[in-house]
Amino acid sequence: MYLDLSHLKKRFSEKEVVQDLSLSLERGQLLCILGSSGCGKTTTLNMIGGFLTPDGGRILLDGQDITHMPPEQRPVTTVFQSYGLFPHMTVLQNVIYGLKFRAYSKAQAREKGAEYLRLVGLEGYENARIYEISGGQQQRVALARALIVEPKLCLLDEPFSNLDAALRVKMRQELKKLQRDLGMTMVFVTHDQEEALILADYMAIMEKGRLVQYGTPLDIYHQPADSFVSGFLGLDDLLWQPDGSVWKVVKKEVKGESPC
Amino acid sequence: MNKHGTSAPPPRPQGGGDRCGSAGKGASLDALFRLFGRGADKLVLLTLLGLVCLFVLVPIVFIVLRSFRGADGLTLEFYQTVWQQYRDNLWNSVFVGVCTAVLCTLFSVAAALFLATRQRWGKLLCMAILLITMVSPPFVSSLAYIQLYGRRGWITHRLLGLSWNPYNCWGVILMQSISFVPLNALFLNGMLEKLDTGSLQAARDLGAKPAAILRDVVLPLLGPGILVSLLLSFVRSLADFGTPVIIGGRFSTIASEIYLQLVGYSNLEKAAAMNLFLLLPSIAAFFVYRALMRQTDRLAQAGRSRQEALQLPLRRCGAAGVLILAVSLLFFLAMVLQYGCIFLSGFLRSSREGYVFTTQYLKQLFTYDRSTMLRSVGYALIVSLAGTLLAMLFSYYMERRRVPGRHFFDCLVTLPYMIPGTCFGIGYILAFNHPPLKLTGTAVIVLANMLFKQLPTTTKICSAALAQVPTSLERAVRDLGGGQWSVLRDVIFPGLRPAFLSCFVYNFSSSMTTAGAILFLISPGRKLAVFKLFDAVQVGEYATASLIATTIIVLVLAVEGSVYALTTLGARRPAPKRS
Repeated sequence: MYLDLSHLKKRFSEKEVVQDLSLSLERGQLLCILGSSGCGKTTTLNMIGGFLTPDGGRILLDGQDITHMPPEQRPVTTVFQSYGLFPHMTVLQNVIYGLKFRAYSKAQAREKGAEYLRLVGLEGYENARIYEISGGQQQRVALARALIVEPKLCLLDEPFSNLDAALRVKMRQELKKLQRDLGMTMVFVTHDQEEALILADYMAIMEKGRLVQYGTPLDIYHQPADSFVSGFLGLDDLLWQPDGSVWKVVKKEVKGESPC
Repeated sequence: MNKHGTSAPPPRPQGGGDRCGSAGKGASLDALFRLFGRGADKLVLLTLLGLVCLFVLVPIVFIVLRSFRGADGLTLEFYQTVWQQYRDNLWNSVFVGVCTAVLCTLFSVAAALFLATRQRWGKLLCMAILLITMVSPPFVSSLAYIQLYGRRGWITHRLLGLSWNPYNCWGVILMQSISFVPLNALFLNGMLEKLDTGSLQAARDLGAKPAAILRDVVLPLLGPGILVSLLLSFVRSLADFGTPVIIGGRFSTIASEIYLQLVGYSNLEKAAAMNLFLLLPSIAAFFVYRALMRQTDRLAQAGRSRQEALQLPLRRCGAAGVLILAVSLLFFLAMVLQYGCIFLSGFLRSSREGYVFTTQYLKQLFTYDRSTMLRSVGYALIVSLAGTLLAMLFSYYMERRRVPGRHFFDCLVTLPYMIPGTCFGIGYILAFNHPPLKLTGTAVIVLANMLFKQLPTTTKICSAALAQVPTSLERAVRDLGGGQWSVLRDVIFPGLRPAFLSCFVYNFSSSMTTAGAILFLISPGRKLAVFKLFDAVQVGEYATASLIATTIIVLVLAVEGSVYALTTLGARRPAPKRS
């Protein structure tokens, strides 16, 4: 397995936030960790990213034990919920910042930066300041900045939660395409069932620090592990694409409004 | 008591101001506000703006006019004399200002980074040291400097057996730098606390080591703050006359020369003209300062507030990290030595065998100077209460009402922040020494001067607090039937409660400790503690001076501690019964 979490544990003072979490993922796949707030999904992500040290368990990435490796050395990058963009730098400077610590000349870095800006659809914004661009554009800068260093694994912490609904749907599609094109392995944390079902190759549903179910969206839809999962997903029906992935989600709660 | 319900329909007959008792105070006050509201509101606003013009604009205009006024008409005579006679002093001022600005900023950045990266106890200790420096009177560093490193200094003479002359320009630069650090360090620390953790995490995530994070993220984000620190230190150095008078020896700057002209020769015209050399760079600095502050706001907007310590291990930050650690430790050590020296020397008497413990100076202070201390506290209390009220009202009108010309008034109120105290003081003498407004020699001129010198900071505190109160709350009160008075009482004042404490603390410690203009305005019969302190230092009564300084520090901490306790207790009290 490419990414392998085994028996991860984390407690903050008295509260066990993550309890004995094990799961694994193949290269080039996208894993969604889904759960309500406080279920331990962000803690798990921070342990993979190296910002928290697990109290027990092991993290293997591409055969290498990275459990105790500091974030700056891990071949893992993160797209933060608040983006964490450097407000004093331009868009291009933000994107190529990570290349400073890898063997790139200034010119090479600029060239590669332009390429990744094109990839996320931000051509022409090289010299814009962070506070001059919109939220969706900031999101793309953060994504390009995380991907340009060609990490072995890219983590995304509820990256679309600050965007409006329409933009969220658009970004979702773009991210999926980008991930397929680059063959990037990703772990995506969200509390939005629809987002998880549409994006994920694999889904991990967490509740109170425990992994409740792990599998493909199709598996989980057909065989929810327990009443919590089926209740939490709250699904009425899914619309499928020809390739077997989810195209649209029809939720139970929709009452009186015309289902889309 | 149903307050809002009764006040909703305007034309009810119970609306007169004479029925306070029967219909609930809030409702009748609302009604009163409706009847006389517009007039009262306008009156308050006009009074506020009038006061600001009178006590800020008029003195500045007077000082400018006076410096041009010769025996017959306008003249540049005073400027020519000053330029010819005091060119050396000017250069000295600029030289000291630049050196102080650079050195002080270096110290401040190091201390702020050190403070921001400390955990619990370390942070508390550093904050306590900075707090004491914030509430201690001026001249304290100079006083400690003489006692520790002077001709008969504890360290230079008694410990190392040196005999050297400490009275020179380097002493002035060093002491100014050290005494300006706390304010700058706390300001920079505030910026560091607002720093977006996301940016730091992202840099680390992308492979940046601590040294790179410091260089690429932390310092650039601190950039505008560093410039503000340079600017403020430069202007404060220009304005500072105490340090060069006490430890400059034969070295003198424009500010110390102004002090001499005014106190020694009572030459107002010359002093006014010399002051313009300070005023012009200060006003220029003021506009740069405002632009920079806007920039810091913008950089901080991306950030969110953060409680825990800054995750930046200074020890692993390379050469810069080591420098920061060394400089900040040096600074905090100097502070500990300085205050240790001040606290001790009030109780030590030098004799042939060494030092012996004595309460002799304490007794002297209590018998001779009790009235001075009480007067200082009284003045400070008046300024604190009046100043806080004024700041609250002013920020309310500026932030929440579309007052015509508000940018002008906002600018005017902030101006005294950068104007040297000597300038501001001389302006007051010139503006208020003849009828119809003859205030010189009264307590009013001293109080007004303190109040308006401090108003920029307190207004800023109140505005920041008001910005936290959403306008929707005001609308909700109006929507539910409350009037203008209900808005003030139920939304604005509660929202300003945290600001009240900060304003009071700032006003009180500033009033107890600032010397600047007060030295020229005070009348001989009504001396204040700071004045006595300056006298004592100048005539070499170091033990008495140390004791006065200690007393001021203890008094300020005691009063502010009790106000803090009162307001937090008040906040914890269960809410008064409503509806």
